[in-house]
Amino acid sequence: MYRQKYLFLLPGLLVLVAIILFPLLFTIRVSFSSWDVYNPGLNWIGGDNFTRLLADSRYWQALVRLSLLTLATVTLQYVLGFGLALLVWRDIAARRLFRVLFLVPMMTTPVVMSVIWRTIFHESLGPLNPILDALGIGAQPWLSQAGHALAAVMIVEIWQWTPFMFLMLLAGLLSLPQEPYLAARIDGAGPIRTFLSVTFPMMAAISTGAILIRLIEASKLMETIYVLTSGGPGTSTETTSYYIYIRGMRDFQIGYSAALSLTYLVVMIVSLTVIAKALTRMVVKD
Amino acid sequence: MLEIRSLSLVQDGDTCLDDVSIRFEPGQLTTLLGRTLAGKTSLMRAIAGLVQPDAGSIALDGTDWLGLPPWRRPVAMVTQQFINYPHLSVLDNVAFPLLRRGVARDEARDRARDMLGRVGLADFTDRRPGRLSGGQQQRVAIARALVKKAPVLLLDEPFVNLDYKLREGLREELIDILTAETGTMVVYASTDPREALQMGDRVVLLSEGRVVQAGPPRTVYGAPVSVAAAQVVSDPPINLLELDVAEEGAEVTGLGAVTPADLGRALPPGRYTLGLRAHDLRLGGPHAAHVALTEVSGSETVTHLVLAGQNLVMLERTVTEHALGATIGIGLDLTRARVFDATGTLVPNGADHG
Repeated sequence: MYRQKYLFLLPGLLVLVAIILFPLLFTIRVSFSSWDVYNPGLNWIGGDNFTRLLADSRYWQALVRLSLLTLATVTLQYVLGFGLALLVWRDIAARRLFRVLFLVPMMTTPVVMSVIWRTIFHESLGPLNPILDALGIGAQPWLSQAGHALAAVMIVEIWQWTPFMFLMLLAGLLSLPQEPYLAARIDGAGPIRTFLSVTFPMMAAISTGAILIRLIEASKLMETIYVLTSGGPGTSTETTSYYIYIRGMRDFQIGYSAALSLTYLVVMIVSLTVIAKALTRMVVKD
Repeated sequence: MLEIRSLSLVQDGDTCLDDVSIRFEPGQLTTLLGRTLAGKTSLMRAIAGLVQPDAGSIALDGTDWLGLPPWRRPVAMVTQQFINYPHLSVLDNVAFPLLRRGVARDEARDRARDMLGRVGLADFTDRRPGRLSGGQQQRVAIARALVKKAPVLLLDEPFVNLDYKLREGLREELIDILTAETGTMVVYASTDPREALQMGDRVVLLSEGRVVQAGPPRTVYGAPVSVAAAQVVSDPPINLLELDVAEEGAEVTGLGAVTPADLGRALPPGRYTLGLRAHDLRLGGPHAAHVALTEVSGSETVTHLVLAGQNLVMLERTVTEHALGATIGIGLDLTRARVFDATGTLVPNGADHG
């Protein structure tokens, strides 16, 4: 009789198989095939795709670039998000208005925002360069030089996702107990020491959560690159996801892109697990 | 010496402190006694710098404190709530104020460990406060306050949220520790007259943000200067009876005619209030009173009575079960009553009895 309970698990199990297990197993199988525009199908070629990707410097460069971009943008998002959250945490004028304003970027569709930013960064038609000119800084080759293009991608990412950090950290700040602050004032801690010794450590758990979520999300960076730079100039802003997209959807090298995807998945799982454990160890000391 | 002069504080339209002036002497334990919202916590918060008074001054040995932020004032404070740093170990909690004062880490930890030993927490140094019982958490807060060796130590009803047994035990331990600390000005806030009278070298009675009386505990208890002071310092509550003295005789509302012999003294004509403590009522007497409530506490019985429409409280040093609604005969020893004039001020009699 009790076996019937497993029947109720069946719908969930089917959905799980359909959306996670089957695509994953199929991708594994495809990665061992030569499926491309000339040879469609699951022709077994062993580990040839994996041997090829080991020598694919463009892929590894994209992975390193993605890692650096992710670390830099998430760090800046955290610092800015924390700063903004601290700003509206205490009683300041128009606090509610600021709270809503700071969230606007996150409420906008990423692709739409990227199109708007592309217009802003446009070197001859965009509004940014005339402003920089007027300020005496001079027009910048935002999307036509490698360094500038990377900076442009970072600006858009930070602008788009700092509100997420802001929201998470503000929620954390608002949930902090007030008593330790009273104790800190009596115990001789000024505002800066109170932040370093009370606020920051008490925010460690929520900070870890927010950073991990953003690291996972940022490691999938794709649409901003697609709309803003298309990986260019050259391959200077190409990230792993974008490179896999090019190999799979533009060059139609399905077998090879499946091998790239699987390798990327393993690298991400391993590195994010290591980061998560390191961050968690910092938070839970006892 | 910590001197407070004409301190006033209004918050959200409520007068928390009204022209408060007190002096705290080094090595003295002063108890602030008052009911809830009497101004005890407001006064302590003003001393600590957690609120800015609207008027008046606070000075330590002649140095003005009002311009100093709380973290620059040499004050330690323990509050009603068990306030600790939840993210730090017990040892680091106690070492925290020392580190803020620039004490080297190793020395701070040694001193913290020593203080934790004195409050009986030597075996809990590595735990977080959240994993301790309420009494232990408050010991951590007390250790953190004491380890600073600040010249001013503020204790704002530190044991009020603990159970009776623990409260008694911790209070005795604290007195032992404080006795060893010489030169510290200890200010202890309490709503419990018995506690205040036991603990302090000096008692300051507060009512509605004002100081109504200050002095040695025996003096304050024996001769409360006003009705307000008598109410604050009496537990169980003092019985207040209206007395009318005329040329042709005197009468106490509810009791009838009384003679100067009943009162133990002659009074000029006028309206008075008699303050009669609960232990000055006795079972067995000419007045018939109805029992409204009986509270047995330990070896004592507090009985709430209604006598001719007046509510009275009687304290017996035995356990007595009076049936609710029963009529019992009681006697009132009016010679022991404090007499207050129409303005509520004590009319002295020379006698100073308990």
